[in-house]
Amino acid sequence: MNNPTDDQAFERRARQLLLDSAEALPAVTRSRLTRARYAALSSRPSWSRRLSRHWMPAGAGALAAAVVAVMFVVMPHGENPAVNPLVGATPEDFEMLADSEAVQLGPDDEVDYDFYEWAASEATGASAPSIGS
Amino acid sequence: MLAFANLGTQTSDLLPAGKTQLRESVQDGARALETFLAEVERKAFRIAQIALRHESDALDVVQDAMMQLAHRYASRPAEEWRPLFYRILENRIRDMQRRRIVRQRVMSFMPWRADEEEEGPDPIDQAADSGPTPAAQIESDQMMRSLEQALQQLPARQREAFLLRNIEGMDVAETAAAMKCSQGSVKTHYFRALQALRAKLGDFAT
Repeated sequence: MNNPTDDQAFERRARQLLLDSAEALPAVTRSRLTRARYAALSSRPSWSRRLSRHWMPAGAGALAAAVVAVMFVVMPHGENPAVNPLVGATPEDFEMLADSEAVQLGPDDEVDYDFYEWAASEATGASAPSIGS
Repeated sequence: MLAFANLGTQTSDLLPAGKTQLRESVQDGARALETFLAEVERKAFRIAQIALRHESDALDVVQDAMMQLAHRYASRPAEEWRPLFYRILENRIRDMQRRRIVRQRVMSFMPWRADEEEEGPDPIDQAADSGPTPAAQIESDQMMRSLEQALQQLPARQREAFLLRNIEGMDVAETAAAMKCSQGSVKTHYFRALQALRAKLGDFAT
Protein backbone atom coordinates (compact mmCIF):
# COMPACT_ATOMS: atom_id res chain seq x y z
CA MET A 1 0.00 0.00 0.00
CA ASN A 2 1.45 3.34 -1.06
CA ASN A 3 1.67 6.24 1.29
CA PRO A 4 -1.11 8.78 0.49
CA THR A 5 1.37 11.62 0.86
CA ASP A 6 3.60 9.99 -1.73
CA ASP A 7 0.56 9.54 -3.97
CA GLN A 8 -0.24 13.23 -3.73
CA ALA A 9 3.35 14.19 -4.50
CA PHE A 10 3.31 11.84 -7.48
CA GLU A 11 0.06 13.35 -8.75
CA ARG A 12 1.40 16.88 -8.37
CA ARG A 13 4.55 16.05 -10.29
CA ALA A 14 2.68 14.21 -13.03
CA ARG A 15 0.16 17.05 -13.35
CA GLN A 16 2.92 19.63 -13.61
CA LEU A 17 4.74 17.63 -16.29
CA LEU A 18 1.57 17.11 -18.32
CA LEU A 19 0.55 20.77 -18.14
CA ASP A 20 4.07 21.91 -19.04
CA SER A 21 4.08 19.60 -22.04
CA ALA A 22 0.70 20.99 -23.16
CA GLU A 23 1.96 24.56 -22.83
CA ALA A 24 5.28 23.82 -24.56
CA LEU A 25 3.82 22.48 -27.77
CA PRO A 26 5.80 23.38 -30.90
CA ALA A 27 4.68 26.51 -32.72
CA VAL A 28 3.62 24.44 -35.73
CA THR A 29 1.30 22.32 -33.63
CA ARG A 30 -0.15 25.39 -31.92
CA SER A 31 -0.77 26.95 -35.30
CA ARG A 32 -2.53 23.83 -36.56
CA LEU A 33 -4.69 23.75 -33.45
CA THR A 34 -5.64 27.38 -34.00
CA ARG A 35 -6.62 26.63 -37.59
CA ALA A 36 -8.62 23.63 -36.41
CA ARG A 37 -10.42 25.85 -33.92
CA TYR A 38 -11.36 28.41 -36.57
CA ALA A 39 -12.52 25.65 -38.88
CA ALA A 40 -14.71 24.29 -36.08
CA LEU A 41 -16.15 27.72 -35.32
CA SER A 42 -16.94 28.35 -38.97
CA SER A 43 -18.84 25.06 -39.11
CA ARG A 44 -21.13 26.37 -36.40
CA PRO A 45 -24.64 27.21 -37.69
CA SER A 46 -24.77 30.96 -38.45
CA TRP A 47 -26.97 33.29 -36.42
CA SER A 48 -29.18 34.07 -39.43
CA ARG A 49 -29.84 30.35 -40.02
CA ARG A 50 -30.57 29.89 -36.34
CA LEU A 51 -32.73 33.01 -36.42
CA SER A 52 -34.80 31.72 -39.32
CA ARG A 53 -35.08 28.33 -37.63
CA HIS A 54 -36.15 30.06 -34.43
CA TRP A 55 -38.82 32.30 -36.00
CA MET A 56 -40.03 29.94 -38.75
CA PRO A 57 -42.58 28.10 -36.55
CA ALA A 58 -43.78 31.39 -35.04
CA GLY A 59 -44.26 32.87 -38.51
CA ALA A 60 -46.10 29.82 -39.76
CA GLY A 61 -48.35 29.88 -36.70
CA ALA A 62 -49.13 33.58 -37.14
CA LEU A 63 -49.94 33.05 -40.82
CA ALA A 64 -52.27 30.16 -40.03
CA ALA A 65 -54.01 32.24 -37.35
CA ALA A 66 -54.43 35.11 -39.81
CA VAL A 67 -55.97 32.84 -42.44
CA VAL A 68 -58.39 31.36 -39.93
CA ALA A 69 -59.31 34.82 -38.67
CA VAL A 70 -59.99 36.08 -42.21
CA MET A 71 -62.20 33.08 -42.93
CA PHE A 72 -64.28 33.20 -39.78
CA VAL A 73 -64.12 36.75 -38.51
CA VAL A 74 -63.53 39.18 -41.36
CA MET A 75 -65.56 37.58 -44.19
CA PRO A 76 -69.36 37.76 -43.62
CA HIS A 77 -71.18 34.44 -43.83
CA GLY A 78 -73.33 35.63 -46.81
CA GLU A 79 -70.18 36.10 -48.90
CA ASN A 80 -68.69 32.89 -47.92
CA PRO A 81 -68.58 30.75 -51.06
CA ALA A 82 -68.27 27.65 -48.98
CA VAL A 83 -71.81 28.07 -47.55
CA ASN A 84 -74.24 25.45 -48.95
CA PRO A 85 -77.15 27.29 -50.73
CA LEU A 86 -79.57 24.43 -49.97
CA VAL A 87 -79.18 24.90 -46.24
CA GLY A 88 -82.46 26.39 -44.96
CA ALA A 89 -84.48 25.60 -48.14
CA THR A 90 -88.14 24.72 -47.57
CA PRO A 91 -90.01 21.74 -49.19
CA GLU A 92 -91.89 24.24 -51.41
CA ASP A 93 -88.62 25.39 -52.89
CA PHE A 94 -87.74 21.83 -53.86
CA GLU A 95 -91.23 21.33 -55.37
CA MET A 96 -90.88 24.45 -57.48
CA LEU A 97 -87.50 23.34 -58.72
CA ALA A 98 -88.85 19.86 -59.59
CA ASP A 99 -92.04 21.14 -61.35
CA SER A 100 -91.64 20.73 -65.11
CA GLU A 101 -94.47 23.25 -65.80
CA ALA A 102 -93.07 25.89 -63.61
CA VAL A 103 -91.96 29.22 -65.06
CA GLN A 104 -88.98 28.64 -67.20
CA LEU A 105 -86.02 30.72 -66.13
CA GLY A 106 -83.94 30.26 -69.20
CA PRO A 107 -82.25 32.61 -71.65
CA ASP A 108 -84.28 35.52 -73.13
CA ASP A 109 -84.75 33.95 -76.58
CA GLU A 110 -86.65 31.06 -75.02
CA VAL A 111 -89.12 33.26 -73.10
CA ASP A 112 -92.61 33.60 -74.64
CA TYR A 113 -93.28 37.28 -73.96
CA ASP A 114 -96.67 37.18 -75.87
CA PHE A 115 -97.96 34.63 -73.40
CA TYR A 116 -97.01 36.77 -70.41
CA GLU A 117 -98.67 39.82 -72.09
CA TRP A 118 -101.90 37.89 -72.69
CA ALA A 119 -101.89 36.44 -69.16
CA ALA A 120 -101.48 39.91 -67.68
CA SER A 121 -104.37 41.33 -69.70
CA GLU A 122 -106.63 38.40 -68.76
CA ALA A 123 -105.83 38.94 -65.11
CA THR A 124 -106.82 42.66 -65.27
CA GLY A 125 -109.95 41.92 -67.42
CA ALA A 126 -108.91 44.18 -70.24
CA SER A 127 -108.80 42.59 -73.63
CA ALA A 128 -105.57 43.14 -75.30
CA PRO A 129 -105.73 44.60 -78.77
CA SER A 130 -105.14 41.94 -81.24
CA ILE A 131 -102.11 42.25 -83.33
CA GLY A 132 -102.86 43.66 -86.72
CA SER A 133 -106.29 45.05 -85.75
CA MET B 1 -61.68 41.77 -34.47
CA LEU B 2 -60.05 44.40 -32.33
CA ALA B 3 -58.03 41.76 -30.54
CA PHE B 4 -56.86 40.38 -33.86
CA ALA B 5 -55.85 43.84 -35.11
CA ASN B 6 -53.93 44.46 -31.90
CA LEU B 7 -52.19 41.13 -32.27
CA GLY B 8 -50.59 42.28 -35.54
CA THR B 9 -49.29 45.47 -33.94
CA GLN B 10 -47.93 43.62 -30.95
CA THR B 11 -46.17 41.07 -33.14
CA SER B 12 -44.49 43.75 -35.26
CA ASP B 13 -43.32 45.46 -32.06
CA LEU B 14 -41.91 42.26 -30.65
CA LEU B 15 -40.12 40.84 -33.70
CA PRO B 16 -37.24 43.33 -34.05
CA ALA B 17 -36.44 43.21 -30.33
CA GLY B 18 -36.46 39.44 -30.29
CA LYS B 19 -34.34 39.30 -33.43
CA THR B 20 -31.71 41.63 -32.00
CA GLN B 21 -31.67 39.81 -28.71
CA LEU B 22 -31.26 36.46 -30.40
CA ARG B 23 -28.49 37.79 -32.64
CA GLU B 24 -26.59 39.15 -29.64
CA SER B 25 -27.02 35.95 -27.67
CA VAL B 26 -25.73 33.89 -30.62
CA GLN B 27 -22.70 36.17 -30.99
CA ASP B 28 -21.99 35.91 -27.26
CA GLY B 29 -22.27 32.15 -27.58
CA ALA B 30 -19.75 32.14 -30.44
CA ARG B 31 -17.27 34.15 -28.38
CA ALA B 32 -17.74 31.87 -25.38
CA LEU B 33 -17.26 28.80 -27.54
CA GLU B 34 -14.06 30.19 -29.05
CA THR B 35 -12.70 30.93 -25.57
CA PHE B 36 -13.59 27.45 -24.43
CA LEU B 37 -11.94 25.76 -27.43
CA ALA B 38 -8.81 27.89 -27.08
CA GLU B 39 -8.62 26.87 -23.44
CA VAL B 40 -8.92 23.12 -23.99
CA GLU B 41 -7.26 22.56 -27.37
CA ARG B 42 -3.67 21.99 -26.17
CA LYS B 43 -4.65 19.73 -23.31
CA ALA B 44 -6.97 17.80 -25.61
CA PHE B 45 -4.16 17.46 -28.11
CA ARG B 46 -1.80 16.05 -25.47
CA ILE B 47 -4.45 13.57 -24.32
CA ALA B 48 -4.98 12.45 -27.92
CA GLN B 49 -1.26 12.36 -28.64
CA ILE B 50 -0.52 10.18 -25.62
CA ALA B 51 -3.36 7.81 -26.54
CA LEU B 52 -2.61 7.64 -30.27
CA ARG B 53 1.17 8.19 -30.28
CA HIS B 54 0.82 10.09 -33.52
CA GLU B 55 0.76 13.84 -33.94
CA SER B 56 -1.28 14.12 -37.15
CA ASP B 57 -3.87 11.64 -35.93
CA ALA B 58 -4.07 13.52 -32.64
CA LEU B 59 -4.65 16.79 -34.50
CA ASP B 60 -7.33 15.13 -36.61
CA VAL B 61 -9.29 13.81 -33.65
CA VAL B 62 -9.04 17.12 -31.79
CA GLN B 63 -10.33 18.97 -34.85
CA ASP B 64 -13.14 16.45 -35.28
CA ALA B 65 -14.13 16.83 -31.64
CA MET B 66 -14.10 20.63 -31.93
CA MET B 67 -16.24 20.54 -35.06
CA GLN B 68 -18.69 18.13 -33.54
CA LEU B 69 -19.06 20.27 -30.45
CA ALA B 70 -19.42 23.49 -32.47
CA HIS B 71 -21.85 22.01 -34.95
CA ARG B 72 -24.11 20.01 -32.69
CA TYR B 73 -23.75 21.16 -29.12
CA ALA B 74 -22.90 24.86 -29.33
CA SER B 75 -26.43 25.76 -28.29
CA ARG B 76 -26.14 23.70 -25.09
CA PRO B 77 -25.28 25.51 -21.82
CA ALA B 78 -21.56 26.33 -21.58
CA GLU B 79 -21.22 24.26 -18.39
CA GLU B 80 -21.96 21.14 -20.43
CA TRP B 81 -19.30 21.79 -23.07
CA ARG B 82 -16.31 20.40 -21.17
CA PRO B 83 -17.66 16.91 -20.41
CA LEU B 84 -19.31 16.77 -23.85
CA PHE B 85 -16.10 17.76 -25.60
CA TYR B 86 -13.98 15.18 -23.80
CA ARG B 87 -16.57 12.49 -24.38
CA ILE B 88 -16.52 13.26 -28.10
CA LEU B 89 -12.72 13.32 -28.03
CA GLU B 90 -12.50 9.90 -26.36
CA ASN B 91 -14.96 8.47 -28.89
CA ARG B 92 -12.86 9.86 -31.73
CA ILE B 93 -9.70 8.41 -30.20
CA ARG B 94 -11.33 4.99 -29.97
CA ASP B 95 -12.59 5.26 -33.57
CA MET B 96 -9.09 6.15 -34.73
CA GLN B 97 -7.58 3.21 -32.83
CA ARG B 98 -10.13 0.84 -34.40
CA ARG B 99 -9.40 2.18 -37.87
CA ARG B 100 -5.71 1.65 -37.28
CA ILE B 101 -6.25 -1.97 -36.30
CA VAL B 102 -8.30 -2.57 -39.45
CA ARG B 103 -5.72 -0.75 -41.58
CA GLN B 104 -2.88 -2.78 -40.07
CA ARG B 105 -4.74 -6.01 -40.83
CA VAL B 106 -5.34 -4.98 -44.41
CA MET B 107 -1.80 -3.75 -44.87
CA SER B 108 -0.39 -7.00 -43.52
CA PHE B 109 -1.74 -8.63 -46.71
CA MET B 110 -0.11 -5.98 -48.88
CA PRO B 111 3.49 -5.67 -47.72
CA TRP B 112 4.50 -3.64 -50.79
CA ARG B 113 2.03 -0.93 -49.72
CA ALA B 114 3.68 -0.48 -46.35
CA ASP B 115 6.69 1.29 -47.85
CA GLU B 116 4.45 3.70 -49.76
CA GLU B 117 2.59 4.61 -46.59
CA GLU B 118 5.78 5.45 -44.76
CA GLU B 119 6.21 9.17 -44.79
CA GLY B 120 9.37 10.96 -43.86
CA PRO B 121 9.32 13.40 -41.00
CA ASP B 122 7.93 16.82 -41.77
CA PRO B 123 10.94 19.19 -41.87
CA ILE B 124 8.84 21.95 -40.30
CA ASP B 125 7.95 19.65 -37.43
CA GLN B 126 11.59 18.84 -36.98
CA ALA B 127 12.65 22.47 -36.81
CA ALA B 128 13.93 23.52 -33.43
CA ASP B 129 11.51 25.46 -31.30
CA SER B 130 12.58 28.70 -29.74
CA GLY B 131 12.15 27.44 -26.17
CA PRO B 132 15.04 27.24 -23.73
CA THR B 133 16.88 23.92 -23.42
CA PRO B 134 18.79 23.88 -20.14
CA ALA B 135 19.78 20.69 -18.34
CA ALA B 136 16.65 20.90 -16.19
CA GLN B 137 14.55 20.97 -19.30
CA ILE B 138 16.25 17.84 -20.62
CA GLU B 139 15.64 16.06 -17.35
CA SER B 140 12.03 17.18 -17.38
CA ASP B 141 11.65 15.96 -20.96
CA GLN B 142 13.02 12.56 -19.98
CA MET B 143 10.59 12.32 -17.10
CA MET B 144 7.76 13.32 -19.38
CA ARG B 145 8.73 10.62 -21.84
CA SER B 146 8.77 8.04 -19.03
CA LEU B 147 5.37 9.18 -17.84
CA GLU B 148 4.02 9.16 -21.38
CA GLN B 149 5.24 5.62 -21.98
CA ALA B 150 3.78 4.45 -18.69
CA LEU B 151 0.46 6.11 -19.54
CA GLN B 152 0.42 4.44 -22.94
CA GLN B 153 0.69 1.05 -21.28
CA LEU B 154 -2.37 1.63 -19.13
CA PRO B 155 -5.82 0.33 -20.08
CA ALA B 156 -7.72 3.02 -21.99
CA ARG B 157 -10.24 3.80 -19.25
CA GLN B 158 -7.54 4.14 -16.57
CA ARG B 159 -5.49 6.42 -18.80
CA GLU B 160 -8.59 8.46 -19.61
CA ALA B 161 -9.47 8.94 -15.94
CA PHE B 162 -5.90 9.88 -15.04
CA LEU B 163 -5.49 12.39 -17.87
CA LEU B 164 -8.87 14.06 -17.46
CA ARG B 165 -8.29 14.55 -13.78
CA ASN B 166 -4.68 15.69 -14.05
CA ILE B 167 -4.41 17.57 -17.35
CA GLU B 168 -7.89 18.99 -17.45
CA GLY B 169 -8.24 19.24 -13.67
CA MET B 170 -11.72 17.75 -13.67
CA ASP B 171 -13.24 16.56 -10.40
CA VAL B 172 -14.73 13.10 -10.01
CA ALA B 173 -18.24 14.18 -11.06
CA GLU B 174 -17.03 15.96 -14.22
CA THR B 175 -14.80 13.05 -15.12
CA ALA B 176 -17.72 10.66 -14.68
CA ALA B 177 -19.85 12.83 -17.01
CA ALA B 178 -17.07 12.94 -19.61
CA MET B 179 -16.43 9.18 -19.38
CA LYS B 180 -20.14 8.40 -19.20
CA CYS B 181 -19.76 6.17 -16.17
CA SER B 182 -20.43 6.34 -12.44
CA GLN B 183 -18.30 8.30 -10.03
CA GLY B 184 -17.40 5.05 -8.32
CA SER B 185 -15.99 3.71 -11.59
CA VAL B 186 -13.94 6.88 -12.04
CA LYS B 187 -12.47 6.47 -8.57
CA THR B 188 -11.62 2.84 -9.27
CA HIS B 189 -10.04 3.60 -12.67
CA TYR B 190 -8.09 6.48 -11.22
CA PHE B 191 -6.83 4.55 -8.21
CA ARG B 192 -5.68 1.67 -10.40
CA ALA B 193 -3.98 4.05 -12.82
CA LEU B 194 -2.15 5.75 -10.00
CA GLN B 195 -1.00 2.44 -8.54
CA ALA B 196 0.18 1.16 -11.92
CA LEU B 197 2.05 4.37 -12.72
CA ARG B 198 3.75 4.44 -9.35
CA ALA B 199 4.71 0.80 -9.73
CA LYS B 200 6.27 1.54 -13.14
CA LEU B 201 7.88 4.87 -12.41
CA GLY B 202 9.07 4.21 -8.88
CA ASP B 203 10.40 7.33 -7.21
CA PHE B 204 9.44 9.45 -10.19
CA ALA B 205 7.96 12.06 -7.89
CA THR B 206 11.04 12.74 -5.79
